[in-house]
Amino acid sequence: MKVTSIDELEAALAAADYLPDRGLATALYLSLRLEKPVLLEGEAGVGKTEAAKALARVLDSRLIRLQCYEGLDVAHAVYEWNYSRQLLHIRAAQEGTVREEELFGPEFLIRRPLLEAVESPEQVVLLIDEIDRADEEFEAFLLEVLSDFQITIPEIGTISAAAHKPAVVLTSNRTRELHDALKRRCLYHWIGHPSLEREIDIVKVRVPGVPERLAAQAAAFVRGLRRLDLAKPPGVAETIDWARALTALGRQELDAEVVEQTLGSVLKYHEDLLTVRDDALQQLVEEARAAR
Amino acid sequence: MADAVVRHVVTFGRVLREAGLEVGPGRLADALAGLDHVDLTRQDDVYWTLRQTLVARSEDLEAFDRAFRAWFLRAPTAPLRREPGGETVRLVRRAGAESKRPDERGAEGEKESLGYSPEELLREKDFATLTSEEFALVSRLMTELAASRPRRRSRRLRRDRQGRQLDMRRLVRASLATGGDAVERSARDRIHVPRKLVVICDVSGSMEAYSRALVLFLHALVGSGRGVEAFAFGTRLTRLTPDLRGRDPERALVEAAKRVVDWSGGTRIGASLKAFNDEWGRRALTRGAVVLVVSDGWEREDASLVGTEMARLARQAYAVVWVNPLKGHPDYQPLAAGMRAALPSIDRFLPGHNLASLEELAEMLSGIERRHAA
Repeated sequence: MKVTSIDELEAALAAADYLPDRGLATALYLSLRLEKPVLLEGEAGVGKTEAAKALARVLDSRLIRLQCYEGLDVAHAVYEWNYSRQLLHIRAAQEGTVREEELFGPEFLIRRPLLEAVESPEQVVLLIDEIDRADEEFEAFLLEVLSDFQITIPEIGTISAAAHKPAVVLTSNRTRELHDALKRRCLYHWIGHPSLEREIDIVKVRVPGVPERLAAQAAAFVRGLRRLDLAKPPGVAETIDWARALTALGRQELDAEVVEQTLGSVLKYHEDLLTVRDDALQQLVEEARAAR
Repeated sequence: MADAVVRHVVTFGRVLREAGLEVGPGRLADALAGLDHVDLTRQDDVYWTLRQTLVARSEDLEAFDRAFRAWFLRAPTAPLRREPGGETVRLVRRAGAESKRPDERGAEGEKESLGYSPEELLREKDFATLTSEEFALVSRLMTELAASRPRRRSRRLRRDRQGRQLDMRRLVRASLATGGDAVERSARDRIHVPRKLVVICDVSGSMEAYSRALVLFLHALVGSGRGVEAFAFGTRLTRLTPDLRGRDPERALVEAAKRVVDWSGGTRIGASLKAFNDEWGRRALTRGAVVLVVSDGWEREDASLVGTEMARLARQAYAVVWVNPLKGHPDYQPLAAGMRAALPSIDRFLPGHNLASLEELAEMLSGIERRHAA
């Protein structure tokens, strides 16, 4: 679909089961209109990756995902030669009849996410996930790709993006500061935790069959947890997981007992589980039950 | 677009620059292009468009919001100026005075080591007793020291005949001539790159004699390449890395002093480590890193918090090294409550009161393996 306003994109994302706040909708909209990558930052579990997936659903485009990690290199991000095929090809042919150009041609190329995105004839959504985990050398390389949307393979030449530039979403957990030059290429949006009302809506959309009261109480409880001093405050992703678990248990609302049994899907650190028990837990449950 | 809007945005850009944001012409152009696509009567859309095009770091969001409120909403706000650097003067003067004070241990050391070269003498001299000329020489030596850093194996490969992974691209090309047989072995192997190093340095009153030397050491470390992050704490924690990036260590010291507002103002080690773990540990800065804590372990408040937070730190880090200048004293015992609470989580425990001990530290860092006994 062609998006012509922020309102339209907001509605379309909602229809694709993703409820962005106005800021995120604006960021994604501007990214499409200005053909600029958008860099999403925020705590773990606030829906950075989900945003890219939802955008792909809305645009009815393929999502190409590049998961970054330390040591990520060209062979895994852009392309690699299919060596076994090349060797078989040499063996199958008459001795001395294979030319080097033939061997390093497109049919022997293994396409990795970046090349795939640049080569694709239709528009795609390119998700570059957790860019802060990649080495700085890779970041510099990425900068080149993102500025011209073209990739050079020494044996073949330069490949440029076809009619449509990919829509690019980068995410970062801020384990390190990204290079200024890369940031300059991008729109920047910080995703915070959603408001209580929005979080309840998100749970209802993402957890089919969740009782209304349970959704509200779970969201309020997790909100209460975020106020505490935890090693890893839970994100929306945890609220959704938890609501799913509670729904599967056939719960209509929260009580201290069921919270104790299932809290492991919300808090992932032992010391956090120790912080939230007995009186603290009881109080949070009461607050959550009073919320609605 | 209307000239009035353009003027408005350009001026707003200037306001942001004054507030410390980096707003170049490219960003302004993006902001204007973005505003072309949104409804200018909707204040929230204008806000988001400007924010997403003009701000690039979460740390700048607050300054942006204040500027936006002041500029577009005409709301009265506190001035955006940075805190004045009154602390600096005090620090520099005090450090100068300190360097002239004779110290018993330092004098003894000189007597003992008669016949050694001046450099040799300097290596053993306690930082608290250095004159300014000696200090200059020490800072030069530190730069050399800082070059040795702990290394880890990278996943990146480099051509290496003895390597463990075959260089297929090269092999295939060579096989062309031989009909598909690999005659010569081409291989690659992983290279070694410096391991991340995180330095958390106590600059409180009890450490004052050493902070100046240690800030210089930090500066040399940050200058030694990528992957070094430096933090300073006293009553609270601040990040020093940006201040230490410059070329001039003395200036770096002045800049650092400006930021570490509680320079010489008492120590809250546990609370500072907690702030570090909460903000930076959670972002996985410490994962796989060698963490170097520089402190005398004098905790003003609850020592048990030091224990908890050190344990948290140790779980994430590759190795934890604690440098305590007091340990240079022959009679030193880790009696400070904070120090005692930290010990179980420390892999290596070293002094750091003079150049020789920093040398020892650098050597240890270059060969560190996980989980040594302290």
